[in-house]
Amino acid sequence: MSEPTKPAGVRRREFLKVLGAGTAAATAAACTYAGPEETGKLIPYLVSPDQTVPGVSTYYATLCRECSAGCGVIAETRDGRAIKLEGNPEHPLNRGALCARGQAGLQGLYNPDRFRTPMIKSGSAWRAATWDEAINLLAQNLGETRGRGVLGTGVFLNQHESGSFPAFLDSWLASYGMRPHLSVDFEADHGAIDAHRRAYGASWPRWNLADAKLVISFGADFLDGWGASVPHQLDFAEARAKIKDAPRFIYIGPRRSLTGLNADQWIASKPGGELAIANFLLGRGDANAASQASGVSPATLQRLAQEFASAKPALVLAGGGGDNGVELVSAAAALNAVKPAAGDAITSLDGIARTSDVIATVERMRTGQVAIAFVRGTNPAYALPKSARFADAFAKVPFKVSFSMFPDETTELCDLVLPDLHTLESWGDAESTRGTITLQQPAMDPVFTGTRSTADVLIAVAKKDSAVASRFADADYRAWLFKRLPGGGSAQTMTAALAKGILPGSSAARAAAPAAPAAITPAASTTGDFFLVTYLSPSLGDGRGANKPWLQELPDPVTKVLWSSWAEIHPETATRLGIERGDILEVKTSAGSIRVPALVYLGVRPDTIAVPLGQGHASPAQSTWFDGKDKAVQWGYGRYARAVGANALDLLPARSNAGGGVIGTTRCSISKTGEQTTVVSTEGSARQHGRGIAQAISVNEIDAHGEQVEHEVKPPGDAPHKFLPGLRSPVAADAQGELGSPTAADQGVLQGLYDPKNPAKMTKRRWAMTVDLARCTGCSACVTACYSENNIPTVGAPWQNGVVYATHSPGFNITRGREMNWLRLERYYEGAEDGRFTEDFEARFIPMLCQHCGNAPCEPVCPVYATYHAPDGLNVQVYNRCVGTRYCSNNCPYKVRYFNWFGYGEPDRVQYAFPDPLHWQLNPDVTVRTKGVMEKCSFCVQRIREAEHRAALEHREVEADEFTTACAAACPSRAITFGDAADANWSVTKLIEDERAYHVFEELNTYTAVVYLKKVNHPAGAVTAAEGATR
Amino acid sequence: MTQRRKWTAIPGLLALAIGAVVLSAYSGASSSQNRQPVQPINFPHPLHAAGNLKLNCLYCHNTANKSPDPGLPAVGTCMGCHIVVRADKPEIKKLWTYYAMGGPTAKPIPWVRIHKVPDYVHFPHMRHVNAGVTCQTCHGQVQTMDRVYQYSSLNMGWCVKCHVNGYDPQEGLRATGYVPDTGRTVTPAGERKYARYDCANCHY
Repeated sequence: MSEPTKPAGVRRREFLKVLGAGTAAATAAACTYAGPEETGKLIPYLVSPDQTVPGVSTYYATLCRECSAGCGVIAETRDGRAIKLEGNPEHPLNRGALCARGQAGLQGLYNPDRFRTPMIKSGSAWRAATWDEAINLLAQNLGETRGRGVLGTGVFLNQHESGSFPAFLDSWLASYGMRPHLSVDFEADHGAIDAHRRAYGASWPRWNLADAKLVISFGADFLDGWGASVPHQLDFAEARAKIKDAPRFIYIGPRRSLTGLNADQWIASKPGGELAIANFLLGRGDANAASQASGVSPATLQRLAQEFASAKPALVLAGGGGDNGVELVSAAAALNAVKPAAGDAITSLDGIARTSDVIATVERMRTGQVAIAFVRGTNPAYALPKSARFADAFAKVPFKVSFSMFPDETTELCDLVLPDLHTLESWGDAESTRGTITLQQPAMDPVFTGTRSTADVLIAVAKKDSAVASRFADADYRAWLFKRLPGGGSAQTMTAALAKGILPGSSAARAAAPAAPAAITPAASTTGDFFLVTYLSPSLGDGRGANKPWLQELPDPVTKVLWSSWAEIHPETATRLGIERGDILEVKTSAGSIRVPALVYLGVRPDTIAVPLGQGHASPAQSTWFDGKDKAVQWGYGRYARAVGANALDLLPARSNAGGGVIGTTRCSISKTGEQTTVVSTEGSARQHGRGIAQAISVNEIDAHGEQVEHEVKPPGDAPHKFLPGLRSPVAADAQGELGSPTAADQGVLQGLYDPKNPAKMTKRRWAMTVDLARCTGCSACVTACYSENNIPTVGAPWQNGVVYATHSPGFNITRGREMNWLRLERYYEGAEDGRFTEDFEARFIPMLCQHCGNAPCEPVCPVYATYHAPDGLNVQVYNRCVGTRYCSNNCPYKVRYFNWFGYGEPDRVQYAFPDPLHWQLNPDVTVRTKGVMEKCSFCVQRIREAEHRAALEHREVEADEFTTACAAACPSRAITFGDAADANWSVTKLIEDERAYHVFEELNTYTAVVYLKKVNHPAGAVTAAEGATR
Repeated sequence: MTQRRKWTAIPGLLALAIGAVVLSAYSGASSSQNRQPVQPINFPHPLHAAGNLKLNCLYCHNTANKSPDPGLPAVGTCMGCHIVVRADKPEIKKLWTYYAMGGPTAKPIPWVRIHKVPDYVHFPHMRHVNAGVTCQTCHGQVQTMDRVYQYSSLNMGWCVKCHVNGYDPQEGLRATGYVPDTGRTVTPAGERKYARYDCANCHY
């Protein structure tokens, strides 16, 4: 009998055996000694710097130039790198607060798309050059242009600044025979500035919100981009915090902006119709005529007039961006009964060149009248409407120089790039209020050694030119500046002044107000079914914020949409036209068209479409998104901005009003393209569905003693606000495991650190936080401050998506719910539920973060004890223990736990969120999380430890209110208070006892450490408690 | 299973299991204890920290009592003496090459790091130094090490043991090697220094 042949199955069995044994062997081998952790090198200093202790932060007072306001900031640096910006408490303008755009200044400093060296364009290709070559090229061109006798036609467009640099720049230009520069700020409201000067004698007065009984805003978005937002917000929140004496706020405009959502009443007037309402209030014209012009019912106007007559004094503000902007602001000034104090103005907005003047200059370029042009810190190729045709005109200038830090649209058109230093790397000054100079000092050495301060470059160029060198005796700008400052820049004066960042005194006053405005004659209104309203993005501004991922990732405070553009349309109109959220619309005006997804929004008139500015950066050379790997210069304003959204300025005709500002409204038509997209948004639902998350109370319910008239029935499981030391929850034993449990082997004798008698005294503390919803305006500064402090990755960039089955588009990760914001600003609507147009709806803003529950649902379900309750009241997340089951996030009712689905913190992964040199900004006191780890708000535990360490070093206890969390420090509304609720000396302890205090989801028995104070509504007229009551 | 296969499979699996258990002893927090790397300059602690000079640790590691980071002497600190002292010796010549009189070719000495805790641990030197923990308790008698090696494992268990059991100042003094070892007394629990062992104390 022959041997049976081995069937094929035996071979497979052997293969599987080998595979199994091999795997087992490999696993065993992998468990062996893996070798010590790689430790790298320790690099000492060559010479120990003065006043720098490694591992301890050094703070520099300087200023912010993310907008024209010029707020004072304190830059925290660690080992020579700036890692966090906070407001300077000494600064009279921002008094310690800092908005989201200011926080994001660090991402401008460390932007991966910054120019590293000068660049010269030869043909159509750019190449890196040395400074010698670049300066020589500029000097050569200046010489040649002078030789042709046309140097006097040179134009310098500079970002608007207050302080000494404008004077320096003009003296440099004058020495070459060029006219003074144009100080450009495309975010400025020129109509308002013009009218303010006439009415109040100042470009931007300080509004006394504290003295008003009623605030009426005709489209002045003073909380989100109109003028200097931070001081407005500080004053507004203080005024509203008076509760009983707080002014009522009425917003009149076609689109309910963030400022409008903070108003107690919205009057939806047609764009341009606000003037009729103002005139009506002034007694010019009757209600019916005003109603015709504005589209607002006569009854509403009558009620408005009555309220205006009875609530005295009223503060009236207006935005001057419309056709009749100047007249509107003048009318508002006439109505305004709360006159700003003379001489107390925000002077940093003085001297801004009108956009109409910029456009006139562009026209001169087009006719070949400009021989040489310089651009610094401004991007007219993007920020002027396309209909102004900047690119064509600019191309006619024979030699164009850009000092830009970033590869923006205007720079791409230039011939030479001399990259400037960032504000945080250079010297300067600003004057935000008369009589106080804000000093700008470098917080660190330049990130890129190949960049130079423009002022120093101009001095170097001048020194090469024998004709002008004699006028520039100073070695550098710092020397020139110091000589001009009060005190002559002596070491004594400057040492004291730089420590505070402010110097009493004044730089030279700006040039006198310009001559009577020459407005570009408005063409007849273009046709179209709809009004189009464009507005400055609260996070991106006029577009300058688009290259900073924190700002792209910051959901728009009103719509909660990010990494996108959109067109807001009222639900009534959307239903009528069969448009749904996400339908791509083509919005068309006489000037151009764009394609954007539709967004249904209650706060826009049914005959109006609203589109935000700031997105749609583009480059003719590169049209696709950055792929994550390309090493070339990323034109189109960088990898985070290029091809994201659409540029709404393509829709505006280049018309300006009498104030010289481009008119941001026109008429448009919309059509469906048939395409659909998922709108990138972090919003789950815009409604509370009876969950009682953001609660409000009418001011009428609070009686004279500040106590609630009617007490609501409290649901069972209510957590009274007694924050006992240590753990509060009656199920404490559960939260701390077996320690202290009567059923433990030692009958609960050993309580470890949870024992009040333990020398560590951790149980003495109970960290808690209050958030006052009567103050919160929804600005989201806290969100960006948290990103900055806690190394939170941004995930929405087009290339950060998964490698398999993923769509590469901006915000794709967000649509999958992978956003990482530890603190989010939720916005809920109340009212207007039937989809029909009504002005009568309310928006409630609530910052939502880890509540550090005393009885946390997330703690018992972690299989590896990576989250637990600390004796001092924190809900702790230990990153290195976390294995990523995500059960904790599943259990969290507040959904404030975030999982690292990808390696956002790992440099070799494609989703890495901190491309060089963004990782320089990372806070060394906070772990950078890797893939597979859960993270959440830690109540800035690193700041708690830092304060405890500092107190221990100084042999004392931590003082009350000695430190606070990043979100609380940034908030311009001062809505957040953090501290030890077990100690009566801390502010938070008193706030927790406020009558308006409540916990979110109290009925779940979570015993949260975050207490919210109910929003206070100010309904019109005297209403009964029943009418005004809301929950 | 056949008899033959049983005699192959079971001992095989058993061997694998025993192997895994034995080898796992080397797994987990892999310790770099006793690591003694070669440094770019053969800096002898005995000469400086012991002998005639007896420089205090904090003379060079000057921020150990102010900062979480103990600090490393700047090259200029070394040059403070070695601009004259033993300038002819080969190791000092190496130092001079690094310092290069502060000129354009100057570069810092790239010391090989020995003691490192993982990035998710925040270890504050100053709390320990100011609590009276002697340097030698954790770092061994560096003043006797011709070439520095890692004396302790720096494992979490090793750290927590001291936090839980308390730091014995007598033990700390003995660890320095400067105090004669006469009569081993153990400080009673009441006088030892305890510290927090809460996770969020170090892991954040």
